[in-house]
Amino acid sequence: MTRWWTTAGALLGALVLQVMIAPHIAVFGISPNLLLLVVITLAFVEGPSEGATAGFVAGLLLDLLSTGPIGAWALVMSVTGYLSGSLKENLFAEGWLAPVTVGIVAALTADLVYLLVVSVLGVGPAFGSAIVRLVLPRAVYNAVLVMLVYPWLARFLRTDRSMKSFRRLA
Amino acid sequence: MRIGQSNPRRRKPILLIVLVAISLVMLTMYFRESDAGLLHTARRVTLEVTSPIARLGTIITSPVRAVGDYFEGIGASRERVLALEQQNEELRARLAELEEARQENERLRALVDFAEERKFAKLGAKVIRRPVSIWEGVIVIDRGSDDDVEPGMPVIAAQGLVGQVADVSSNSATVRLISDQQSGVSVIVQSTRTPGVVRGSLDGSLSLDFVDRAYLPVEGDVVITSGLGGVYPSGIVVGDVISVDDRHGELYPRIKVASRVPVDSIEEVFVLVGAVVDADPGEIE
Repeated sequence: MTRWWTTAGALLGALVLQVMIAPHIAVFGISPNLLLLVVITLAFVEGPSEGATAGFVAGLLLDLLSTGPIGAWALVMSVTGYLSGSLKENLFAEGWLAPVTVGIVAALTADLVYLLVVSVLGVGPAFGSAIVRLVLPRAVYNAVLVMLVYPWLARFLRTDRSMKSFRRLA
Repeated sequence: MRIGQSNPRRRKPILLIVLVAISLVMLTMYFRESDAGLLHTARRVTLEVTSPIARLGTIITSPVRAVGDYFEGIGASRERVLALEQQNEELRARLAELEEARQENERLRALVDFAEERKFAKLGAKVIRRPVSIWEGVIVIDRGSDDDVEPGMPVIAAQGLVGQVADVSSNSATVRLISDQQSGVSVIVQSTRTPGVVRGSLDGSLSLDFVDRAYLPVEGDVVITSGLGGVYPSGIVVGDVISVDDRHGELYPRIKVASRVPVDSIEEVFVLVGAVVDADPGEIE
């Protein structure tokens, strides 16, 4: 069980890094969504409900930071958090494959659903070019970062039992 | 691979439904409320609170950027240095010609008593935050309503137009870049005076739209603001034409423009805070 302040600390840390660091580690103009990494990890470690709640809070923070419609990211990341948790529970995979699969699916889902939401709201970009130029590259970037930070982040978030290997974490 | 749980837990997604419902309520509120509404105010407060963090991030990463710039400079070849020196000479000569034209222009204006063009006070500002989301082309500067910055004010850099103030808190302001997909600038091609609209895109590239194909620009033509619409003053450099694709069957040619402003690395900008009558030299554009 994750203590609430551990989750809050992880989200707050991700928020600070999103503001301070993320714009400066953009690759070809694509900056990562660090809050999403925390949400995916938390959902993977704790389950869909916790993932959805963390996703809602993280999404709301991202909404307030950006200039888009407030509520769009909250909606998207709630769904992504829930999906990540559900996927993990129903996934026939173990070891490194499980978090990698969840990371890729969740990262892809997040930006794809956001594109759908802003398109429905009438403030979105051209759908096709957004998928090619933004959604797919950022999904790859976020998925790579999930692989890199997952072992450490999961260890930080899940404090009730010791985790000494990546395999055990998964 | 292993066989997963034989009977995976089935949860009722009540919590998810509640969270999605709250999100939809917020979205509705956002579009229905005024700029002084709860959510818009919350965003301004967030901007205010996170500004020091963003400023700290800029300070922390500046040595890394400086090292990168240094090594980039080391890589300049001898040929490039010579080319730049030659370009510098040409520009100095051109500057002298333009100074002559400017003085002549002033004399002629005085002769015919032509209305003086509006002049703007420039307020220097530092860029403290770059886009946190890939879905938007905005930066945050360290000037806000305490410095009389208001939404809608144009923002420029030494190289040309940067964008327009979108939102303001007391000590910081959000600037929507001209490269943002929601931006549009009324422009003219400097050499032909052909009007058009420069629009941003998702990848930050600029396109020049609605140009009459009878007056096609050529590569290298300079695009400047037209002053139409009243948002941007006329004569600010927007960029240079880099390609013209006049395909048959399309109503308007496809023209790409490159901004001269290095948005990814720009650190200082100027906000045009309003027309002035008398001001100290150096403050007036």
